[in-house]
Amino acid sequence: MKYVTSYEQAVSPSTKLIYGSLLKADMLVLVKNRRSVVLSILLPMVILFTTHGNKAQQRLGGSLILVGLAITYGLMSTSMLGYTLAVARDRDAGVFQRLRVTPAPTWMIITSRLAIQVVANLVIALLVVIVGASMYHLTLSPGQYVMVLAISILGGALFLSIGLALVGMLKSSDTVNAAGRIVFAALIFLGLFGISGALGGALQFIASWSPVGTVMDLFSAAINPARWTSHDSLSLLVTLAYIVCFAAVGIRWFRWDTH
Amino acid sequence: MTEPQRPGKPLILEVKGLSVAYGTKIAVDNVSLEIERGEIFGLLGPNGAGKTSIMSSIEALIKPRSGQVLIDGIDVTDNPQRAKAIMGVQLQATSFQSELTIRQIVSLYSGLYGIRLTRREIDERLEDIGLSSEAGKPFKQLSGGQQQRLALLIAVIHNPILLLLDEPTSGLDPQSRRQLWGRIEHVRQAGGSILLTTHSMEEAQTVCDRVAIIDHGKLVTCDTPNRIIEKHKDDTRVKNVAHGDVTLEDVFIGLTGSEIRD
Repeated sequence: MKYVTSYEQAVSPSTKLIYGSLLKADMLVLVKNRRSVVLSILLPMVILFTTHGNKAQQRLGGSLILVGLAITYGLMSTSMLGYTLAVARDRDAGVFQRLRVTPAPTWMIITSRLAIQVVANLVIALLVVIVGASMYHLTLSPGQYVMVLAISILGGALFLSIGLALVGMLKSSDTVNAAGRIVFAALIFLGLFGISGALGGALQFIASWSPVGTVMDLFSAAINPARWTSHDSLSLLVTLAYIVCFAAVGIRWFRWDTH
Repeated sequence: MTEPQRPGKPLILEVKGLSVAYGTKIAVDNVSLEIERGEIFGLLGPNGAGKTSIMSSIEALIKPRSGQVLIDGIDVTDNPQRAKAIMGVQLQATSFQSELTIRQIVSLYSGLYGIRLTRREIDERLEDIGLSSEAGKPFKQLSGGQQQRLALLIAVIHNPILLLLDEPTSGLDPQSRRQLWGRIEHVRQAGGSILLTTHSMEEAQTVCDRVAIIDHGKLVTCDTPNRIIEKHKDDTRVKNVAHGDVTLEDVFIGLTGSEIRD
């Protein structure tokens, strides 16, 4: 039997090997979660295709807003329904506790998942902006693409922090699932109907300063940086404030296991 | 079973005055234990006695309120990563990422312990535990016995000097249980020490070199099973529950009470 050879003094494994192993495993998990990946790409594409060339495009605020909306919803979907539910489910199942008894530091366990999620967010944003630019005949410079990717990281961080706050405050994965879907639906509603003003001025104001509103605004500004206004700068600050607040709530109340 | 030779063997685990509290509830109260190299040590106690809190403190999953845990001289609180690198753990409810295959799980955990295994080496290890044909399946598709075998393989993948097993035979059929004990004995023969929790007094009496009985967070008694029986066989509480020859289970129930714990 080779499975135990002999007593030997184990050495602390290298950070590179531990982090590499975690990143590889988290990447495999993300790729194998086909439903979540497909949904995260499908949703923004559906928005782009259903609003292209009709009155909805005008009602919702034009092509820049629509591309911003599509990327925002893609990020929301992958971050809030994908990442958040995966964390809640793995915590319920005891996956985190199993990882925590290995020499892997907790910060590596957390950031490895986040890093893979950020890569997924960038891929989704890039796909949507390429398709959106082609559909709406927008010519984007390399600088504009870089801006879009930078805002994707920021927007993704915002929705991940909302997800983290949900996982921090709620214990059971079923409750996180239900609450995540309600928040997701509310944000979709705000983005589609609130920001356009279709539901009145008060709701338009709330929607434009909601997480979905500020991120959409930043995407529109990133695609057309020449029209960057003080409102966009304020959106950036509000987005950062949201990230800090939600992440603080999530980190403060996060528990590694629910038992 | 041979009685352990206490003097002369190096101490692999030292638990000194350990206390664990959750808010105002004291789960572990000033418990001290020592485990020598090559020793199988059983931690026994009713539900809620504090076994899991002691195990979690050793595994560096929780911070004790006071006391010290040393593994081969390394303080678990001060150097958790170094301590974790020399211990192997099988949790009571083992779960791995459901999307990963068995082969990918072994690859992940060998990496976390600093071991690079080729696909062939992984397959060889899976073959050793009779799981080579399951290598491409996810963990959840394995039977209970197969899951336990994989969990133990991962716990010993880095040849730890201390192996922690939380109710390792729970839910296993007699064949799987017998096989598991064979593997645990093999770990001991390779030089590892084992700390395990179990609700099976029969198993503890047969397999463990020494056992400790914990109740209400306190250490009730600690010695070899035979000495514990000898020491407590005339205790009225033990006599009241014994039928014929006093067993470890009689002593356990006599000392911890007959009422059911949640």
